[in-house]
Amino acid sequence: MTLLDKTEGSVRSKTGFWPNNRATIIGIAVLTVIILIVPFTASSSMMNIAVFSMIFALPAIGLSLLMGLAGQVSLGQAAFFAIGAYTHAILLQKFEMPGVVAAIGGVVAAMLAALLVGLPMLRLRGHYLALATLGLGFIVMIAVREWDFTGRTTGIYGFGRPEVFGISIDNNGLFFWFVAPFVIIGLILALNLTRSRAGRALSAVNDSELAAESLGVNTYSLRVKVFTLSAGFAGLGGVFYAYHVQIVSPQVAEFHVSVELLLMVVIGGLGSVWGAIAGAFIVELLSEGLRDLIPAIIPGATGEVQLIGYGLVLILVILLLPGGLYQVVRTVWAAIRGRAGRRADAAAASAAAEGAAVGEVPTRAFGGLPAEPGDAGALFDTDADADADADAAATDTGGSDLAEAALPAVSTPVPAGEPILEVRGLTKRYGGVVAVNDVSFTVPAGRIMGLIGPNGAGKTTCFNMITGAISPTSGTVSFLGEEVQGRKPHVGAVRGLTRTFQNLQVFSSTDVEGNVYMGRYRKGRAGILRGMLGLQGREQYAHEDIARDILDAMRLGDVASLPAGDLPFGRQRMMEVCRALALEPALLLLDEPMAGLSGHEREMLAALLRRLRDAGLTIVLVEHDVAQVMALADSVAVLDEGELIAHGDPESVRNDPAVIVAYLGTDAEEAKAELEELEEQS
Amino acid sequence: MTDFLQLTAAGLSQGSVYALLAVGLIATYTVRHVVNIAQGDYAMLAGLGSISLVSAGLPLPLAILVALVSVTLASVLIERLVISRVKNLTTLVSIILTLGVSTLLQAIMLLVWGAEARRLPAFPGEDLVIGGVSIRSQELWMLGALIVVGGGVLLFYEKTRWGKALRASAEQPVAARIVGISPAAASIIAFAIAGFVGAVAGVVSSPIYLSIWSGGLLLGLKGFVAAVLGGLVSFRAAIVGALLLGILESYVAGYVASGWKDAVAFFILIIVLIIRPAGLVLRPNAVRV
Repeated sequence: MTLLDKTEGSVRSKTGFWPNNRATIIGIAVLTVIILIVPFTASSSMMNIAVFSMIFALPAIGLSLLMGLAGQVSLGQAAFFAIGAYTHAILLQKFEMPGVVAAIGGVVAAMLAALLVGLPMLRLRGHYLALATLGLGFIVMIAVREWDFTGRTTGIYGFGRPEVFGISIDNNGLFFWFVAPFVIIGLILALNLTRSRAGRALSAVNDSELAAESLGVNTYSLRVKVFTLSAGFAGLGGVFYAYHVQIVSPQVAEFHVSVELLLMVVIGGLGSVWGAIAGAFIVELLSEGLRDLIPAIIPGATGEVQLIGYGLVLILVILLLPGGLYQVVRTVWAAIRGRAGRRADAAAASAAAEGAAVGEVPTRAFGGLPAEPGDAGALFDTDADADADADAAATDTGGSDLAEAALPAVSTPVPAGEPILEVRGLTKRYGGVVAVNDVSFTVPAGRIMGLIGPNGAGKTTCFNMITGAISPTSGTVSFLGEEVQGRKPHVGAVRGLTRTFQNLQVFSSTDVEGNVYMGRYRKGRAGILRGMLGLQGREQYAHEDIARDILDAMRLGDVASLPAGDLPFGRQRMMEVCRALALEPALLLLDEPMAGLSGHEREMLAALLRRLRDAGLTIVLVEHDVAQVMALADSVAVLDEGELIAHGDPESVRNDPAVIVAYLGTDAEEAKAELEELEEQS
Repeated sequence: MTDFLQLTAAGLSQGSVYALLAVGLIATYTVRHVVNIAQGDYAMLAGLGSISLVSAGLPLPLAILVALVSVTLASVLIERLVISRVKNLTTLVSIILTLGVSTLLQAIMLLVWGAEARRLPAFPGEDLVIGGVSIRSQELWMLGALIVVGGGVLLFYEKTRWGKALRASAEQPVAARIVGISPAAASIIAFAIAGFVGAVAGVVSSPIYLSIWSGGLLLGLKGFVAAVLGGLVSFRAAIVGALLLGILESYVAGYVASGWKDAVAFFILIIVLIIRPAGLVLRPNAVRV
């Protein structure tokens, strides 16, 4: 979601329910003051607008979470608003329930409905999901219109307003104060969620779904939860609507209500929860203004004349201001801060620029440190004591032997030498083309296996089937004795199987540390509820510290707070390796990790991989650089045109005639001579 | 039995309107990967436009011709002014944009033609009675429009060099540019086709099903449901799906209750998506890894 990238900066963890960041506290304080004084100062028509913008702010917050966080556009938010409103009204009018029960009933009904339709629908993507939600909106509207129980076109009316703490809420001002706390709490919950483990996982999904899943994020389940939560906000809005208006008719389910809600989110800025509240007020104002203005300009105009404004504003905002109000505020805020703090920041800025420049020098390998002789040796000491390294990542790693002690932890569920991954008869066909044909091999734990082959041999396809990125046509993949083929990547990832990517899959909306933090996802526990209540700070801080330690150990500490997309290529690749290591994997699959690295960088990475292997990690790597693989791997498998043509220790594979022919396409004698020549050169 | 056949005939004619809209949706989707929510609004715009021209004294064929050309141009204009302005047209953005266009078109129609439904005079021709089942001549016009226009678009995309080039430009924009197909031109042609078939659907259906400012969204959605049955790429499957949808709706209206008729499409959509979610996405936009 490119829209989002522009609006959301890096997100840091927080602890506790109440906001602890200055801008948020100021924002909420200002909002509270406005809410307190509005009923005293606003005219009655303005008060009416204010009340409805509060009611609609709730579904808009929900929709903003769904669109900004889960990247899903819903054109049927009004359906859940209507379900909340109708349920509330029916419970009051037909069952004479107490007000609180009816209100909770409304919210629960909306959430249940969302869960029910979300389970099948959220398997869909993009256009399908958007139009399915639109269809859902129509079904709800038709259902309430045609069903006797919901009062058909007249709807439900004639229910009173339950008193709240003995107070009868019978005017706009009191009602405004009644709704406002719910909006503020909803806002805080939503803000907390965006910074929580689940929220950050969802924004990673928006950057690269495959990478997030390969780190153990169950995208589908998170999306269903956010969809349900979003419907809960809509349902609460519907309850307040029913309470205030005292009549619920099919109008509340109409499509233009969904458009209105979408417009609120778009104006406010996709992904900005604050924006949704501002958007709600602006849209209500716009709607009211246009209803007065249009008939004055065009005599005889009746009906939903405000739609002309909705259409125009939707188009113009997306074309001219895709980040919405949130983008404007950020730009203005940055300009003010820039002017005020220019002098103070000058020194820091130049220092930062220097740091960035260092980072762009490719010969400096993964680190911004001066490339002194022996530096590489110190970092990637091949004689390191593996046992000491294995659990050292979480501990404080100061002192002179920093590099040696800082090797990230790996998990070793299987003793070295025992099979950890078994591939049996793996086959992938695309139509008539066989990309991978009946490939079988076993990877023993604590070893490095190289998978090589000419271009188009099916190496990456094999990889994608093992990690779950694609389903095999036939065959099995057993990881730790459990079949994982054809299941989503997160299934393997939560068991300790992860990967890096040939074409980098960087989470560009967060910084380097945020990327590596996502590698800790598997180790976290906090769910959406804890995230919203802000009760997971301790857990998150611990994981952030570990992410930081890993970056420090890999000499990426100096760029930890830079946007991940700004790193030079070699460092991005290294960051991906860090991210995968943060998961404490048992099996690490590296897809062409050497591609694009300088010779020096390659050596350092090779040394690191050896140390990780010695610490018990199993590694499978696909690689073009045959010489590197031969030097590094304990065993080598060779694929050619989808077939496994050789598998064994590097020496025997190197001398295998079939391999030589596959690589050089000539007869064996000639090929061997050429191969030797190549090796001498490299 | 006569009822059943009568309902089937009505359903077929209604289905042919959905089929035309599905053809328009697929035309733009294959080229731009945009599901144009305003597709159904083209139909209403053409219907209302030709009604005004007829009441202004133009002969019916001329009024229809002017309406078709205008809506086609409007669709191209929308492509130029709105769709082509966005460099990185993600799904989210394309949906919001075309929704904005649809809302704007609806509002304009509301302001120009008012809130009431209007009717175009019926096209010339004799009603047909076969074995007690009467088929209105207008319904034959609707089926005929599908055969001529829908079939024409289908042949254009599948058989002509230009049509194949359009599809190629969606699959491989760079390669298409190398062999001389401009993505901008491809996009314009696709939107012109979408505008034209939408307008045809609106004009032929107006005498029976009326034209109203707010009717386009529902109509377009039903076209989408049909297009989904064709995986958003297959014209043939979408046309068959649209005809079946029309027939099914007609049975529901005849045997259950006419109010529920409009819900049929969405139940089908959701049920199909539940049963075969993966089967519908023929070519997922997978990330190369």
